[in-house]
Amino acid sequence: MSTVTATKTVPQPKKKPLRQRMAKYWGFYLMFIPVLAFVAVFHYAPMFGIRYAFYSWKIVGDPVWVGLANFEKLFRQSQFSVAFWNTIVFSVVKLLLNTGFAVIISLLLNEMVSLRFKKLSQTIIYLPHFMSWVVTASVFSLLLSPSESGLVNQLLIKLGVIDEGIYYLADKGWWRTWYYIINVWRETGWQTIIFMATLTGIDPGIYEAASIDGAGRWKKMRYVTLPALANTIITVLILNLAKIMNLFESVFVLQNSSVQRATNVLQTYVYYQTFNSGASADYGYTTAVGLFRSLVGLALMLICNFASKKVRGRGIV
Amino acid sequence: MAKNEELEYVTPAGVKVSAPPHINKPKSQFTVFNGINGFIFVLVCLIILVPIWKVLIDSLDLTTGYGLKLIPTKFGLDGYASIFTNPSLLRPLWVSVYTTVAGTFLGLLLSTMGAYVLIQWDMPFRTTFANILLLTMIFSGGMIPSYLVMRGLGLTDNPLGPILLPAINVYNLVLMRNFFEGIPKSLFESADLDGCSPMGTFWRIALPLSKAALASIGLMFAVAYWNDYTNFKLYITNRNLYNFQMKLRDMMQSSDLPESVGSATENTIRNACVITAILPFMVLYPFLQKYFVKGINIGAVKE
Repeated sequence: MSTVTATKTVPQPKKKPLRQRMAKYWGFYLMFIPVLAFVAVFHYAPMFGIRYAFYSWKIVGDPVWVGLANFEKLFRQSQFSVAFWNTIVFSVVKLLLNTGFAVIISLLLNEMVSLRFKKLSQTIIYLPHFMSWVVTASVFSLLLSPSESGLVNQLLIKLGVIDEGIYYLADKGWWRTWYYIINVWRETGWQTIIFMATLTGIDPGIYEAASIDGAGRWKKMRYVTLPALANTIITVLILNLAKIMNLFESVFVLQNSSVQRATNVLQTYVYYQTFNSGASADYGYTTAVGLFRSLVGLALMLICNFASKKVRGRGIV
Repeated sequence: MAKNEELEYVTPAGVKVSAPPHINKPKSQFTVFNGINGFIFVLVCLIILVPIWKVLIDSLDLTTGYGLKLIPTKFGLDGYASIFTNPSLLRPLWVSVYTTVAGTFLGLLLSTMGAYVLIQWDMPFRTTFANILLLTMIFSGGMIPSYLVMRGLGLTDNPLGPILLPAINVYNLVLMRNFFEGIPKSLFESADLDGCSPMGTFWRIALPLSKAALASIGLMFAVAYWNDYTNFKLYITNRNLYNFQMKLRDMMQSSDLPESVGSATENTIRNACVITAILPFMVLYPFLQKYFVKGINIGAVKE
């Protein structure tokens, strides 16, 4: 979005003094007060809490100034680096898989002949997006159960692929695989909306022209549809890349104690270190981890904003 | 269309011409490609639906081993009876309902008021206000400082916490602003000339003209509140204040299951809980779908 005010080409009358101009808008300032109050309390007040990153503080007693010690500790912790790389890898792989599948599905939806079936398919594939992560995790933990009630294991046993049920969500390797599958299951359909919007915006004249030039279905897809989508694909990738450090709930609800350490991302690491490590929790240390996360997130935002300006001529915020 | 029939096109000038030979072939309704494409989508839809269907079926089945069944063998509603006769599950449902209603209302109020102020292009400090909001999208204090603020304000273990915190949503506010921008300026100006106050213009002009956007953004808020787990997990430890998502998570993780009524097994109750969590939405979804899609398009396709 742009924050540029409309420039007028008409010569402006001499500007009135600021106070007079503000007086004209007093009602609007009044309306903005609640919004400002909410932003101040829930977004800006926490920013002042960042100072605890330089303290050691076990919530009781006074914070003790430790300088950069928390950051030194953080880079020595193997759990931290695991969580950091997991954040990056999970988000990027998930983003690429979701976007890739969404593009394929959109292209195929676009070729669908029966409008009725197209509408129905769209309704169905958007559906999982509205299920909460808790529900999604519940559905899949029931489905992947190693007991005789788990659909996936029973199916594989019947087919003779495996002999006995595997506890997928308690195994590091399987956990990752299913994490990606579940994400694709939940989000791919919803992501197609933005691609479908672009596809319906393509001038049908271009397709006609391509037909007259003798292009078949594949050539039209390759030389008309895909290039039209390219810009949207890049936009989606940039927009989502800027947010990858926010990963929390989807990982958190699928974790269990046997894979927790191996599958932690930064936010879940902060959560467990603070709220699940008993009385010894150092709020200073976890604030430092959070600050590190916010800074990487900020850097990514700025890079993506720059990339976005280059690619599509406007920033992302 | 018969195979030998020629395709005719009418040019803008009204002249009938026959199509060039290479496209002058029947647009058949069933080609191999369309067949495969249709098949792929049947498959995709099944992949989406089978997990949900399986949970639904198992919630209605009173036997213990479910395995591969896709229809219940011993049909019964005891799973649901266990839920709805158990006060420990009714309370979380009630919490979900009131936080969703209150939060959606508050969220819409803040988004529309903020958005309305941000379209006053000539207002002094408008850009400053916009930047104050936008900065929160790129930087945040993080989980622990937020927790400390909430605790300091007494908003932990207080249902107001999960109601107030998500109500200010800059992304939704910007969507709303984009929508307001589409309303002709002259309408606001004439209201102003007629002596309508800013608040009056807001209620009588801006809001009534934005019903579609209000529906879309209101639904986004409602879904976010109904599905909220993170804020409850972080700020609520009192079990009496759990919402349904928290309760569901608890039941799936531990054996914190409601007492069974009749012959409902543990697994049946679990499945029934999942279905109860999604049922209200499933029923409404077909009617609301267009508003969701519209909502995402207000923001996305503005290029």
